Amino acid sequence: MKSLEVYISGFFILFGAIIFQLASSMKYYGEYGPGPGLLPLWISGMMVVLAAVNLVAALKKNGKSLADILPKGTGLINVLSCVGAYALFIVTVPYLGFTISSIAMLFILFSRGYTWRRGLCLSILVTGILFFVFGSVLTVPLPVNEFGW
Amino acid sequence: MESFGYLLHGFETACSGWNLLYSLVGVSFGMFVGVLPGLGPTAGTALLLPLTFGMQPVSAVIMLSGIYYGAMYGGTITSVLINVPGESASLITCMDGYPMARQGRAGTALGVAAIGSFIGGMIALAILILVGPIVASQALKFGPPEYFALVVVGLSLLIGLMGKSLLRGLIAALFGLTLAFVGMDPLTGSIRFAFGQENLEDGIEFVSLAMGLFGLSEIFMTAEENLNAQAAEIPKIQNMMPRREEWGPSLKAILRGSGIGVLLGLVPGTNSVIPTILSYSIEKKIAADPSRFGKGAIEGVAGPETANNAYAGAALIPLFTLGIPSSPSIAVLLGAFIMHGLTPGPTLMQRNPEFVWGVIASMFIGNAMLLVMNLPMANMWAQLTRVPFKIMLPNIMIIMILGAYSINNSLFDVGMMLVFGILGYFMKKAQFPLGPVLLTFVLGKILESSLMKSLTIFNGNFLGFFQRPISATLLIIAITIIVVSIYLGSKDKGIEGDSEI
Repeated sequence: MKSLEVYISGFFILFGAIIFQLASSMKYYGEYGPGPGLLPLWISGMMVVLAAVNLVAALKKNGKSLADILPKGTGLINVLSCVGAYALFIVTVPYLGFTISSIAMLFILFSRGYTWRRGLCLSILVTGILFFVFGSVLTVPLPVNEFGW
Repeated sequence: MESFGYLLHGFETACSGWNLLYSLVGVSFGMFVGVLPGLGPTAGTALLLPLTFGMQPVSAVIMLSGIYYGAMYGGTITSVLINVPGESASLITCMDGYPMARQGRAGTALGVAAIGSFIGGMIALAILILVGPIVASQALKFGPPEYFALVVVGLSLLIGLMGKSLLRGLIAALFGLTLAFVGMDPLTGSIRFAFGQENLEDGIEFVSLAMGLFGLSEIFMTAEENLNAQAAEIPKIQNMMPRREEWGPSLKAILRGSGIGVLLGLVPGTNSVIPTILSYSIEKKIAADPSRFGKGAIEGVAGPETANNAYAGAALIPLFTLGIPSSPSIAVLLGAFIMHGLTPGPTLMQRNPEFVWGVIASMFIGNAMLLVMNLPMANMWAQLTRVPFKIMLPNIMIIMILGAYSINNSLFDVGMMLVFGILGYFMKKAQFPLGPVLLTFVLGKILESSLMKSLTIFNGNFLGFFQRPISATLLIIAITIIVVSIYLGSKDKGIEGDSEI
């Protein structure tokens, strides 16, 4: 299995190549001076080259594979819970409003360490406090549902 | 004398009721993130950055800088008590601090660390007051070419942050620069690399990047290890003062540590781990009996802890005078300056003296607060190490989300933070340093703008930089640093980079 470094280097090559391609379609030098494509072209080009060198080096050496580096068992579930809960919050908050999305997210996270009853109570409590502090005290226009929460 | 007058005015600003409170909140939160293993000063500062949005600039930076130097104090507590560094700069303190705690001398280790940190912080601030205005006045003579050359020097010194691999560090630095190009071009105003997203037209939000790369990725890393970890047993803290015969060696180590910290703080591109390692190795080298080190030598705690705090204070000199951040935490402070409409650089001291001197004065007050927090109240802070991560994690995550959202009231920024969090997690796993991404992201805009202006002056002739004495000298220094670093890097891996970066 390929090492994580190979994938990360691949990501940088891809990202750099996209920026390089876009930069090459911009003006390199204009009538009054340097164009918007000048520095991005050089920097992204260098990034692609260096990432390619790193990719070759990573392919040659016997680096740790993704399976070695990624957590297993409970650790993996913990990390996936964090990412999943966060993603769930972003997806649902425009429709359900801050409070419900926040309770759902916190419930998933608290449930990793507490019983579901305690997790639910903590989620409601923390959401309530934050809704008051950010919404009322700091007057941040939080995303809300049709009921105003 | 002029500086002294400004400083007195600064104390007036810093001592106003609200600013005192913000200073207290900042240093307390800094202690908090320092005590908690997993959250470093960069993540801590980034975490509170969005909350300062509606505040006066001086109050905001007083609070954020309090987090920065407060974390340096807080990190010591866990190093000494449970052999786990709260932040990376306290790593070396474990070497002798923890053995001291096992000998029943945890109080003395924490006491000498607090005294050393205070003295180191004070000396660094004194240097800042003396040197800052001189450097700033000289830097006022700089035009775009000199500024470009200076930023290039800063970027070349970034090699100090590159971690294990120079190549991976360079890729990370170039990635940060590329991210800085997203949004409006500084010369023509045309929109670049926004991929049709209106939210990207003003560029990538700094807070999303900083909190994602440093905060969220660190949370993911910690979650996989110890979400249900049991609280560690804390040794009893008593007798905070060193023995009579220990005062002499401790004070000498403190003074040496101050010198090392201040000198390295002046160099953009270093990190807070290097002065601590250097101080420790010097103390060990000059000790009459080096075999005591690693077994509870008090100089092994006093020197590095002082160097760490002196570094933190001195690192503000390049920030205040040149607008160049020397570490990721300082880059977050620079982000705060920009967010609050201040232009970092040599003009800052002239145009906003009440701001600069207010912040400097607040650091004297903050350091005094921290001395009190660390001497009589050390036991209380030590109890924080018992707070389980399973309760901290959900709270930190939702506060980060709210923080990222409240900058522009945009869910897009919240989504970007998740993207950078995941990317930061995998970059850490693959041992790509994160510090260069943040630093070059901040420096990228200054770099591009000064390069564009310079090339316009030189009619596109790159050699024009070498026709002006200051820019030529600076570029030659930068080229020398890069060549020497690549040469040394190929021969020896050297000091491993900051684990946080």
